[in-house]
Amino acid sequence: MNSFQSPFIFFTDAVLRAPTIGCMLMCLTASLVGVIVFLRKQSLLGESLSHAAYPGVVIGVMIAGFFKLSDEDQSLIALLIMVLAFFSSLIGLWSIHWLSRKMKIKTDSALCFILSSFFGIGLTLASQVQFSYSSLYRQIQAYLYGQAATMTDVHIYIYGFFSLLIITVICSFYKEIQVMTFDRDYAKCIGVKIKPIDTLIFILIALAVVIGIRSVGVVLMSAMLIAPPVAARQFTNKLYLVFILSGIFGMISGFLGNYLSVELNTALAIKYPGDRLIIPTGPMIVMVASFICLVSLCFAPQRGWFLRIIRIGRFRYRCISENLLKAILRFCHTNELDGISFEKIEKYQSLSPFRLRYLLFRLCKNGWLEKTESGSYKLTKDGKVRAEKIIRLHRLWEVYLVNYLGIGAERVHRNAEEMEHIITPELEAELTLLLKDPKQDPHHQPIPPREIF
Amino acid sequence: MEKPIFEVHQLTVNYDKTPVLFDISLSVPGGKLVGIIGPNGAGKSTFIKTALGLVKPISGKVEFFSEPLKNVRQRVAYVPQRESVDWDFPITVQDLVLMGRYGKLGLFRFPRAADYVACDHYLEVVGMLQYKERQISQLSGGQQQRVFIARALLQEADIYFMDEPFAGVDIATEKVIMDLLRKLKSQGKTVFVVHHDLNNVENYFDWVIMLNMRLIACGSVSDVFNPATLNDTYGKSFSLFDEALKISLQKSKGIKP
Repeated sequence: MNSFQSPFIFFTDAVLRAPTIGCMLMCLTASLVGVIVFLRKQSLLGESLSHAAYPGVVIGVMIAGFFKLSDEDQSLIALLIMVLAFFSSLIGLWSIHWLSRKMKIKTDSALCFILSSFFGIGLTLASQVQFSYSSLYRQIQAYLYGQAATMTDVHIYIYGFFSLLIITVICSFYKEIQVMTFDRDYAKCIGVKIKPIDTLIFILIALAVVIGIRSVGVVLMSAMLIAPPVAARQFTNKLYLVFILSGIFGMISGFLGNYLSVELNTALAIKYPGDRLIIPTGPMIVMVASFICLVSLCFAPQRGWFLRIIRIGRFRYRCISENLLKAILRFCHTNELDGISFEKIEKYQSLSPFRLRYLLFRLCKNGWLEKTESGSYKLTKDGKVRAEKIIRLHRLWEVYLVNYLGIGAERVHRNAEEMEHIITPELEAELTLLLKDPKQDPHHQPIPPREIF
Repeated sequence: MEKPIFEVHQLTVNYDKTPVLFDISLSVPGGKLVGIIGPNGAGKSTFIKTALGLVKPISGKVEFFSEPLKNVRQRVAYVPQRESVDWDFPITVQDLVLMGRYGKLGLFRFPRAADYVACDHYLEVVGMLQYKERQISQLSGGQQQRVFIARALLQEADIYFMDEPFAGVDIATEKVIMDLLRKLKSQGKTVFVVHHDLNNVENYFDWVIMLNMRLIACGSVSDVFNPATLNDTYGKSFSLFDEALKISLQKSKGIKP
C-alpha cells in the first residue's frame, strides 16, 4: 500500500487544485453565512433554500439540453445552472415569507412545505430530463449529492469572487448584523435600515447555498451552513471570533474532505482493484465538518460536554466535603467533644468507608481538618469558619423561604441543603440585607454571625 | 401648560391577536418621570412599541418635539424588556452597551476611541464597569437590566422608554435604576417607564399614563392617580368592550366565532 501524498500537491497539481480550492472557498462562504443563520435560530432555512434551488438546477440543465449545449460549454452550463438555482432558491424564500406573513402559517411549517414541494418539483422535472436529455442527466445527479472532482479553474474564480463579496459584505455590515441578530426591535429603534440589510443577508444565504450545492449537494448543504458555526460557538463568546473560527473550520473541512476522499479512493482502488469503491467528496466534507463539530461539543473549554462533566463532579465533591465538615462541627458541638473518630463519622454518613477515608484525607491535606494523636478528626480554625458559614447560609435561606416565599417551615430544609453550597457572597449580602440579618432560623436554631474575628 | 414634547393623536392599534389600543390621544410635557400603568394585556408595551415605530398603528400619529419620530430618532432611546432577547448571544457587556452608539455612527463606521471611553463611563454609572469583558449570559437578571440601561444612556437621548425595568431585579438594582431616573429628570430628560407595582407609583413618578386598551387618565400623579381612575383601569367595566373588540377582530379576519 502506498503512502499518502503530500497535502501541498492538492494546491499545485493541475487536476487536484480546482476541487480543493473550490471546496475550501465554498465551505468558507457557507460557514460565514451560516453564523448568521445559526445565531438567528433559522437553521432550517438553509435546508429549505438548498432544496428550493434544485428545480433551478434541473431547469438549467433542460435549457442547456434545449439549446444543444455540449460538454465543451462546461463553464457556460455551470453559470446557467448557478443563476437559475439562485433564482429558484429566491423564489422559495419569497414563498416562505409570503406563506408566513400573508397566510399566517407558522414559519417552520412554511419552511417544510417549501422544502418538500420544491424538491418534489425538482425530482419530477429531473425524471423527465432522464429521458429527454439523458446525456445531461449526470449533471443533475451531481448537484443532488455534490461532485467536486469535476471542478475546473473557472470554478475557483467564480467561488473566489463570491467569497470575497460575502466577506466584504459581512465586514462592512458587521455592526448592523450584530445588533439586528441580537435585538431586532432595538436595531429598528436606533434607525438601522432593517429591510434592505435583511434582503442583503438573504441574498448572501441564497448565494452561499447555490455555490455549495455544486460540491456538497442539495441534500447535505445545510450541514455545511450549521456545523462550523456550532463548533466555533463552543470556543468563544465574541461574535467576530465566531465568524473567524467558523470560517477556519469550514476551510479545514473543505480541504480535509477533499484530501481524504481522494487518498482513500486511491488506497481502496489498490486494495480492492475489482470493486470500484468510491468515497465521494461532498459527504466526506460534511463528515469532517460534523466530526469537528462533535469534538467541539465534547471537548471545548467552558462549554464542552467533557469539562462540564468534570465541573459537575467537582461540585458534587464540594457538596459532600462541605456536608462532612458541617456534620463534624455539629457532632462536636452537641457532644461537646473536641474531635470525632472515624467509626463515629462512618456511622452517620452513607458514604463507603473507602470514599470517606479519601475525603477525610483530602480535607486534612487542604487544612480544613486535622488528625489528633488519638486518631480522631478535629476541625481546624479555618475548617470551623467554613462549616459555620455553610450553616449560616443554610439557615438564612430557610428564613428567606419561610418569610418571603411563604413555604412551611417543615418543608424548607431539603431546599436549603442544596442552596447552602450555591449561594455566592453577593447573594449572601443581598439576603442579609433583605432579611435584616436575622439571628434565628425558622426552627429556632441560632444563625452564626457573618464575620468572625 | 408648557409645550409638550410627546404627543399622541387618536392612536388605534390592532396587534396580531387581541391586545389593542383604541383611540388614544395624550400629551406629556418635558422633564417628567412618567409611569405607564395598567393590567396585563392592557397594551402598555404595545403603546411604547407603537410610539417607537416598532408596531404599525391602524390610524393616528405620534410626535416627539412636534416632529415625526424619523426626524428625531437619535433623541429617543429604548430599553426593551429583558426577556425579549437571547442572553446566550456571543457578545460581551461592552459590545452590548456600544450598540447605543451604532445609530449615531451610521453605516460603515465602527466605534471610535471616544465611544469606548463613553461606554466605560456609563458602565461605571450603572455600577457594571468591572463586568465589561463578561459574556452577557453570565449576568444576573438585575445586572442584565443595568447593562440594557447603560446602552440607552450611551445614546445620550432626551426621551427614554423603558419596558418594565423593575421586573425581576434585585433591590440594589432597583435603587440604582431609580437614582438614575431621578438624575435623568434633573437633567431635564423625560423617562417613560412601563410599571407594574402600584405601591410605589406615587414615590417613583410625577406623571402617569393609565391604560386599559383605552386611555383612562394622563396627568400628574397628584391630579389623576386616585381610587376612581384605578378602579377604571383595573376594574371589570371593560370586559364588554373587550368582548366586542374580539368579535370585531374575528369578523375582520373572516373567522367564524
